[in-house]
Amino acid sequence: MRKSHHIWLPVLLVCVGTAIASAQSFKVQCPAKTSLHPSGTASASFAGPVQGTISIHPDFGSDFQLASNDNGGAVKCQEVSGGDGYATMADGTQTYLFGFGPLSGLGLIANGQPGTQLADDFNKPYTDGPNFFNGQPNPNYDPGAPNPNGAITDVAAIMHTGVMNANMPAPLIAIDEDDELFLTLTNVGMIMRPDLFEQHTIHFHGYPNASSFYDGVPDASVAINIGGSFTYYYLAPDAGTYFWHCHITPPEHLQMGMVGQIYVRPRQNRVPSGMSVYQALVNAQGDLRIASNCSKDILCSTPLPVMPIDNSPSGGYVSGTATKMYAYNDGDGSTRYDHEYPIQIHGFDPNFHFVGMTFNPEGFADMKDKYFLLNGRSYPDTVNFQGNWDTSYGTSATPALYTQVSDGTNHPSQPLPTLIQLKQGERALLRISDLDVTEFQTLASVGIPMQVIALNARLLRDEAGNNMYYNTNSITLGGGESLDVILDTCTARGPAPDYACTTKMPTGKYFLYTPQLDHLSNDAENFGGLMTEVVVN
Amino acid sequence: MSDFKMQIQTSASRLLPLLAVALISLLTATTWAAVPGITGQTFNLTAQQSYVTQPDGAAVYSWGYGCATGANVAAPSFLPFPGFCNPMQVPGPTLIVNEGDTVVVTLTNNLPAAAGNTSILFPGFQVSTTDPSNSAVQTGVQGLLTREAASGGGTVTYTFIANKPGTHSYYSGTQSDLQVEMGLYGAVVVLPKNVAGCSNSKGEYSLAVAAYDDLVGATSTVNPSCYDREYLFQFAEMDPRIHTQAEAIATCAAGPGVICPTTMQTVATEPYHPTYFLINGRSMPDDMDANYAPEYPAQPYNGNPHMHPGDLTLVRVIGTGRWQHPFHEHGNHVRVLARDGNLLLSASDSTKLAGPLLFTTTTTPGQALDGIFYWTGKGLNWDIYGHKPGDGSVCIPDANGYYTADSGALNYYEWCADHDKPLETHPYGSVGSGGPATLPDANILADGAWYGGSPYLGPDATANAVGTSPIPPAGTVVNSPTTEAGYAFMWHSHNEREITTNDIFPGGMLMMMLVDPPVFHINEAQ
Repeated sequence: MRKSHHIWLPVLLVCVGTAIASAQSFKVQCPAKTSLHPSGTASASFAGPVQGTISIHPDFGSDFQLASNDNGGAVKCQEVSGGDGYATMADGTQTYLFGFGPLSGLGLIANGQPGTQLADDFNKPYTDGPNFFNGQPNPNYDPGAPNPNGAITDVAAIMHTGVMNANMPAPLIAIDEDDELFLTLTNVGMIMRPDLFEQHTIHFHGYPNASSFYDGVPDASVAINIGGSFTYYYLAPDAGTYFWHCHITPPEHLQMGMVGQIYVRPRQNRVPSGMSVYQALVNAQGDLRIASNCSKDILCSTPLPVMPIDNSPSGGYVSGTATKMYAYNDGDGSTRYDHEYPIQIHGFDPNFHFVGMTFNPEGFADMKDKYFLLNGRSYPDTVNFQGNWDTSYGTSATPALYTQVSDGTNHPSQPLPTLIQLKQGERALLRISDLDVTEFQTLASVGIPMQVIALNARLLRDEAGNNMYYNTNSITLGGGESLDVILDTCTARGPAPDYACTTKMPTGKYFLYTPQLDHLSNDAENFGGLMTEVVVN
Repeated sequence: MSDFKMQIQTSASRLLPLLAVALISLLTATTWAAVPGITGQTFNLTAQQSYVTQPDGAAVYSWGYGCATGANVAAPSFLPFPGFCNPMQVPGPTLIVNEGDTVVVTLTNNLPAAAGNTSILFPGFQVSTTDPSNSAVQTGVQGLLTREAASGGGTVTYTFIANKPGTHSYYSGTQSDLQVEMGLYGAVVVLPKNVAGCSNSKGEYSLAVAAYDDLVGATSTVNPSCYDREYLFQFAEMDPRIHTQAEAIATCAAGPGVICPTTMQTVATEPYHPTYFLINGRSMPDDMDANYAPEYPAQPYNGNPHMHPGDLTLVRVIGTGRWQHPFHEHGNHVRVLARDGNLLLSASDSTKLAGPLLFTTTTTPGQALDGIFYWTGKGLNWDIYGHKPGDGSVCIPDANGYYTADSGALNYYEWCADHDKPLETHPYGSVGSGGPATLPDANILADGAWYGGSPYLGPDATANAVGTSPIPPAGTVVNSPTTEAGYAFMWHSHNEREITTNDIFPGGMLMMMLVDPPVFHINEAQ
């Protein structure tokens, strides 16, 4: 800890002293309410757009009322740090990272959950854990307080938490359609590389009709200096599996670990009980923002399905219980799932990471990944659901893997296992993305067929409304691609609307692994790599 | 140049030299793309050696197709604007033909003797190699995949009917692992015949109004491939060690104690270790220079897309070489129309598209992909022009929600549901004061070369911004808020190590797509 401050302080002082004119450059933004969400919180259900008005505050005079559609949603917020840190590879090697770490929702992230919160929760103090990672006491510590995972906004606390706390992958983000997301990036500096003065950004990969301003490309927008914060603002795009990463010197910052996942859940999850999801999708055509009319828009994302035939209000697939979850606004229930698993494929080149830590010139063309990662871990760590739980931190159990950083403190830097657990007959949604920077990667399923339902965050459906899902036992992705797979542990189902499972797959352990056999390695260890387990109980 | 230094001082210092080069090259030749090529029904091509240049200063010995010259050879005709067609270029000349044309390509082998024979494959077409004037006589000499032009000035003639509209690749079918690597590849664009289903007029620099023919259904005729502007990107990687070995053989001078190889069989094409990653034969930032820029006599085609909000932009993408490249289009999804000139249509309704929506259009060697991209800024929940209530601006939605009533308006094609919702109505410091967002003090941020200093698009961007003065000052950036005032999006390979040039970042397979405000005239021929 002491060592890190010795390195850090001059960096901070030089940067802040030369760059900023105002008193404080760390600034976290999460309004309790907005024009679009005047109450801040979510409406309970979506049966169709509700026409109304929103108030826009002008500089002078009274509010202007603008026509708007209310589709529900809420104000959601998340805060991340950009910096450096360490992870542990499956062969025990400690690896240096450039990475993002959580500055809000810490307990959620360490539990392998999305750290995204409602504004109310985000704006509460962080009360969990008596100390910050570096041992400094948490003045807000309050064991037993509800919603203990609020954002860390105090400048000193940001540094106590964010320094050398890079995660791999970056904090998980999950939002719902119609949400507004305020995503704050705070650059805490890279302690091990004070020579770099490196900026960071967030690129929300795949955001449709993105503004260049919030696209995170430093050449086309702004980049966040050390000691600064920037709040990215997004209205949730169409449902799908997206991902995010830093866009500074991408071959370097992505290889070094600045990669994460973000997915958007469909408003179909909010269709009230007793209403057909088809009817809700029909109703959605009343709002041009969320309509999907292929005769007018060649980028129509979710055309009405040709099925179901029954278009009556109670027809089609009825959204019934709170456990009904869908990947997309399919209108036919075909993307329903019981459990969702974000899976990000990546690769680490140990030589590049070593060079990246040691001030040496980096070779890009020579990059050769030797660790092949699912959510930042190689097998068998991918199925390590207990982790090396550090009891000195917080109060709840966590699946995070901890790694000691250079000041001697432990950080839950690899929070996401990839153990897929299903009961017989259940369906898993695998949200698979790839941010490897060197080569294509294949992930295969042994035993359970993969049904590919979407590519690049878009439902596989032709403009006539036919689902073009396909069954396969392997998928291949390059860097910057994503797709959605349903693993169904039921081999025969009854009719709609319940689709009750009539023939279940046997219980047991199934595998997801790469048939690129040289990727089944952890550097010199010839067994491990891109592999995980599917446990059917 | 002092302006540049001021602009780029915030970038990482190790990137400065190359970024400066990029800025200088951009400023000296601000220019755009389209799909330039040569047209006609008869093409006289030659395969020759020359050098391609790379932004690190390298001149790489290469082979390429080009336009033959001579007393009996007609000068090529260019579309959509004049250019040049040197005897060697990478990629080879883009052949622009009309559907139904009988296309005759005569290839002369002017490669060095040790290169042996050469040829062209036109995948997707039924190719004849007989003499067009005497169908009983075969041209060229027999090769493995096709008839070939013999070493030392031999010729071969390929004849085919261009019966498939769309984008197609062509490349050498002789010792392909070496010859394609050396640069012997190019594109054929076939323009469709029946495009009555399109209501748009042909774009100023477009080759046609649609990429494919009308689709005739039971009740209507439609054309989902109509477009307003178009670009062609040919992706290939390059291993300079292979080129060096080939050059050594080609220039080998026999003498006492020196026996020169008579073939290129000893050139080691494995292990493959590319260090250059090319779009249309150029690495970034060279791809941002003009089509037919005189400094690239052997690399006439650029990669520098521009568009206006709402423009339907046809993206023609060809993979060459050996590797796949995940080509990521920032800004929106691409609707895939076709692969190798084959439209992807619904099985139940052959007037409806079935190609996927992709934000990463992976290139595959030998495969051509056509897709439609557009950008409108729809659904951001803020006004991309920074209009405020009461400022007199107008946005009357059409049936699709866009302002299309006045094609001359500053905000033509604005998404009206977000009109009058500026990103921030109060400056820095007033969190939640009528946002949706409040921007931080601009001084804590580093500005990119394509960033106009405000979140907004168009000539009023600076005036409509609030808070601290937008930085950098107007006139100091590539995409100046006082002239172009566009939004820039990076289009690049997402196997990110490929956005480097011989280990230097930035470079390689990277370009900046500019969404320009509607009032900014995009002169692709400039």
